Amino acid sequence: MTYPALTPAEQSRYEWQMWVRDFGETGQRRLKAASVLISRIGGVGGTVAMHLATAGVGRLVLAHAGDLRLNDLNRQLLMSTADVGSPRIESAARRLRELNPQVVVETVNENLDVSNVGRYVSQVDLVVSAAPLFVERLAMNRAAVRQRKPLVDCAMYDLEGRLITVRPGRTPCLDCLYPESPPLWKREFPVFGAVASTVASIAAMEVIKLLAGFGKPLENQLLSYDLREMSFQTIAIARRPDCPTCGQLSA
Amino acid sequence: MIELRVQYLAQLRTARGVADESCHLPEGATLAQLLTQLAGTHGAEVAKHLYAAAGVVQPSLMIAVNGTAISVRQSSQTLLRSGDVVTLMPPIAGG
Repeated sequence: MTYPALTPAEQSRYEWQMWVRDFGETGQRRLKAASVLISRIGGVGGTVAMHLATAGVGRLVLAHAGDLRLNDLNRQLLMSTADVGSPRIESAARRLRELNPQVVVETVNENLDVSNVGRYVSQVDLVVSAAPLFVERLAMNRAAVRQRKPLVDCAMYDLEGRLITVRPGRTPCLDCLYPESPPLWKREFPVFGAVASTVASIAAMEVIKLLAGFGKPLENQLLSYDLREMSFQTIAIARRPDCPTCGQLSA
Repeated sequence: MIELRVQYLAQLRTARGVADESCHLPEGATLAQLLTQLAGTHGAEVAKHLYAAAGVVQPSLMIAVNGTAISVRQSSQTLLRSGDVVTLMPPIAGG
């Protein structure tokens, strides 16, 4: 596959990251050719989008319904006080285009569910799962596995963050880990913006590695950290042979 | 007796009020016995994250022993030893 050339402006914009070993201009051209779906655009997804836009991922599709509220702003790096009451997705897209006009930003002013997720997943190369409800995360996971697209699932609670990379047929999927939709998870949760940003930044780097094809992705492991204790650990995870979503899939 | 370490993450850490603690069990104890002991001694807020109903471990509770995830269905067959670290991870989806 041939990847699009970089313009002089892009050469300049991305100069410092193209110095990264194993990434270089080839990696940058791969990012330019790539597309990512992010749902939703909260403290985690918004920061993933910011890093992917500034890094030069060619096309971002952002999904999130509803208007920005004042109590979103402790963790929203893409939105400002003046945006309260306006559609959050438009505020996010405007800021991303300001940050990097060379990236195509598409907005979906709805949340993903089983009725629409397949359509949006089919339009991209990779999915970032950052929704506050398991039903949405599981819907994204099933669509990504069905379409054999990688998915990076990033979540936080309190001062903790977790990350899982799903590579269909090679690693566990979310249905392997959660055989039932977790019944105790609540839509509203304690959150500092810095904790959401931390897991988002790690997720963004994982996405960049997967798209550009360098480094070692987080395969068959779950990354977990607790900033209250300043502890980081990885847990070895395995595919479930009877997983209804990926159990029959081969690598 | 064996002595092991239990790590509580996320909502379980909030419910228990500590990040980790040591725990004593009889020789030959299983992971299932540990969960029963924790649910029985630390109150309903802890117990609800461990058990969906009497004798039924929360299917989506993630459990790791020494850094490797163990299926909740294997908890009765998983023997624990002194020095083991058991990590209990309720699912989280903050985004």
